[in-house]
Amino acid sequence: MTEEQLVRYRRNILLAGFGEAGQEKLLAARVLIIGAGGLGSPAAYYLAAAGVGGLGLADPDVVEPSNLQRQILHSVKDLGRPKVTSAREKLQALNPDLTIEAVAGGFHAQNAPELVGRYDLMVDCTDNFAARYLLNEACVRGGKPFIYGGVLAYAGQVMTIVPGRGPCLRCVFREPPGEGAPTTSQVGVLGAVPGLIGTIQATEAVKYFLGIGDLLIGRLLTYDALTMSFFEAKVKRDPACPVCGGL
Amino acid sequence: MTENDAREETGLEVEVRLFSGLEKFFPAAGLGKACLVQVPEGATGSDLIRQLNIPADQVFTMFVNGRHAAPEQVLQPGDRVALFPPIGGG
Repeated sequence: MTEEQLVRYRRNILLAGFGEAGQEKLLAARVLIIGAGGLGSPAAYYLAAAGVGGLGLADPDVVEPSNLQRQILHSVKDLGRPKVTSAREKLQALNPDLTIEAVAGGFHAQNAPELVGRYDLMVDCTDNFAARYLLNEACVRGGKPFIYGGVLAYAGQVMTIVPGRGPCLRCVFREPPGEGAPTTSQVGVLGAVPGLIGTIQATEAVKYFLGIGDLLIGRLLTYDALTMSFFEAKVKRDPACPVCGGL
Repeated sequence: MTENDAREETGLEVEVRLFSGLEKFFPAAGLGKACLVQVPEGATGSDLIRQLNIPADQVFTMFVNGRHAAPEQVLQPGDRVALFPPIGGG
C-alpha cells in the first residue's frame, strides 16, 4: 500500500480483525454489483469507499427523474445518461484507486457466466426475481457467493448465499412471484429502506473478504421501517432444490 | 357429533410468524411475532393461509421448520410456519 492509501484506509486498518492485511484483501477483491439503483447506490458507494479494488456495475437503464428519490449515485445532471456511466463517474471521483467496469448492457443470460467467472462476489441489487434467479443459477454453477437484497414499500430483506454452505435463493424462493405481485412502481418504496439494505449488503461483502464475523448464510434478515424492527428467519438448504440440490 | 366436528376436536396447533405486510390480514399474529394457531388435522399450508385470511397470491414463500415448503404440505403438531410476501424491488 502507498502512504496515501495507508492514510485513506486508516479507519479500516484500525479495526479489530482488519489491519493492513485486511485492507490488502479488499484492494485485491473484485465485486460485481448488479443494478445501479436504490440498492446498488449505497452498496457501490460503501464498497468503493472501503477500497474494494475492482468494481463492476451492470445495469441497462438510464437515469430517470423518478429514480432520484432513492438512487443516490445519480443527480439531476445525469438524467437520461446510462446509470452505469453516472455511477462510475461518482465512484471514481470518490476513490481513484479503483478499477471500475461499467456493463451498460446489463446482466443477462448471455453474459452471466462470463461476468460471474471474472468476479469474486456479486451483490444482487436487481429489481426483479427473474434477474435474481439468473444470478442465483450463475453463482451456484460458478461456485461464487452473492448477497441477495430486496425492498418494497417500508420493508427490506437481505441474505448471503455461499453455494454449498447454506441455502441458495431457490431453496428459499422456489417459484417466481405471481403476475399480480406488487412492485415499487405500484406501491412505492421509502428511499432510506434500500439505503439501509444496500449498506448491509456492502457490510456482508466486506466481512466475506476479511473472513470476520457471522455472515447472513441461512439467515433471511427482514427489516420493517415502520416498526423499526429486524427479524431473522433461519432457513436450511433444501436437498430437493432444483438449482443447488446436487451440490 | 358429525364427522367434521370430530376432525375439529382432533385439531393441532402450529406456530405462525407473518412478515412484511402479511400480518395485516391476521392482526392477532403481529409482525414477525410467533402466534399459536389451531388447524384441523390434515390441514395443509394452503389451508392455513386460507384460515388466516391471507390471499394466496400474496404469499411468496412458506417455511416450515426452517425449510421451504410446498403449499400442499400437511402440517404437523408444533410445526413452525413462516410466511413472506415477495419483496422484489431494488
